[in-house]
Amino acid sequence: MSDAPEPDGAPRGEAVVELRGIRKSFGTLEVLHGVDLTVHTGEHVVVFGPSGSGKSTVLRTINMLEEPSEGSVKVLGVEYGPGLPDVKAEKRGGPVQLRRHVGMVFQQFNLFPHLTALHNVSLPLRAAKKMSRRDAEERAAQSLAQVGLLRWAGHYPAQMSGGQQQRVAIARALSLDPKVMLFDEPTSALDPELVGEVLAAMRELAESGMTMVIVTHELNFAREIGDFNVFMDEGVIVESGRRGFFDTCESPRTRQFIEAVL
Amino acid sequence: MRLLATYDWYLVWENKTDLARGLLTAIEVAGVALVISLVVGIVLALVRMSKPPFSWVAMVYVNVFRGVPALVSVIWVYFGVSLLLGINFTVFQAGVIALVLLYGAFISEIYRAALLAIPKGQREAGLAVGMHPLRVFVQVIFPQATKIAIPNIGSMFIGMIKDTSTFTVIGLLEVLRVTQNINSVTFQPFVLFTAAAAMYVGATFFFDFVFRVVEASMTIPPGGGVAGIFSRRRHQRIDLVVKQVEAMSGRN
Repeated sequence: MSDAPEPDGAPRGEAVVELRGIRKSFGTLEVLHGVDLTVHTGEHVVVFGPSGSGKSTVLRTINMLEEPSEGSVKVLGVEYGPGLPDVKAEKRGGPVQLRRHVGMVFQQFNLFPHLTALHNVSLPLRAAKKMSRRDAEERAAQSLAQVGLLRWAGHYPAQMSGGQQQRVAIARALSLDPKVMLFDEPTSALDPELVGEVLAAMRELAESGMTMVIVTHELNFAREIGDFNVFMDEGVIVESGRRGFFDTCESPRTRQFIEAVL
Repeated sequence: MRLLATYDWYLVWENKTDLARGLLTAIEVAGVALVISLVVGIVLALVRMSKPPFSWVAMVYVNVFRGVPALVSVIWVYFGVSLLLGINFTVFQAGVIALVLLYGAFISEIYRAALLAIPKGQREAGLAVGMHPLRVFVQVIFPQATKIAIPNIGSMFIGMIKDTSTFTVIGLLEVLRVTQNINSVTFQPFVLFTAAAAMYVGATFFFDFVFRVVEASMTIPPGGGVAGIFSRRRHQRIDLVVKQVEAMSGRN
């Protein structure tokens, strides 16, 4: 895995996601005051911080579910955001094109309740990848097998536990062969006993070399998996660092937060 | 009871063909109008949920036509349009258009409420997997909203059948017009209008049943009946795919 980061977390791969000067306002309230973040191939980036710090908003700008008011969102070198002043992007893309490279897993799973697990995964394959029904269903079944849920293919979301639903959601995002996977507090809505199976699926994905950006409150998991760690508060990145960040961070605000959570 | 027996109830049986034909006409007008109203209603709901000033236009339309009685609506369409624009609709067409004008407005409100009941995460999930926004609407949001809307649409359809009774003013041969015609010869209003009412009530029970079947077919996981057949076939296909993939991973 040549793109995997160095043992200290220093990146070896190329930049997949580049956020520069991201500002976001809802009405008159500015919630992001200029955020820069680079995610390299094979890298696992962890974003954490208190509620309302803007970490989910940052994540959601990466696939344009949240359109930044200002700033540059580059994925694989293509500009999808408003861009930086005085810089003219060579290549610009639309949100639908962007999302075909970026997978996302939500806090509330957001499976489609009217479809079986298999069709939750195969629908996007048919819609976004224009695969035939037969190919899409076969690919979907393989994805479900990857997260250990092949036997649940014919079940509806309401018949599955939260942990199983979230694993289907992971399979759904994975089946599209994304270049980067975004996780928005993927275990926050789960019963404590179900957190483990989702983290295990994510760990396996990380080991396979997938590029990941994870917003989470699970700091033990973050410490274990994060090549690059970002602490956010009140719409800015307070501090960030590579492996060992949780022991070496300097800002009193970061220390205070980590101690309160761990 | 003896009093009731003194009436000539046999009159209803004698005119059963005309009455049945009247009911059929009423159901036909209402049925065609329902299909068009659904299309109009869904479009109106989307316009109503869009940005001003479009949403205002839809809001005004919806409130005007929810307020207009069916009788007035059909007189506008049949006589008004003919006078103003010189377009002459048949009574059937005029009845359908009059109902669509009113029930398009009602159904738009039903769909608006149903669409708003779908969590916004559903749309986000659809977009996040790279689906086109229109496709997200058609395959993710709309089926879920329809499931919520179906019971209310059933009520609307029963209302539509009943509202066809006002189309007697333009001479549509629906239940009430047929009843009036027979009455003008036999002078038995109590018998005839009771029979008419019974026909509307009978239709109500029947379509209530139909919509219940549709509703049941949309429950998840699918229950018995028609939905059960489709669901069994779907599961057979899923099982097949699962076995295939299992066999492949077994070989590896």
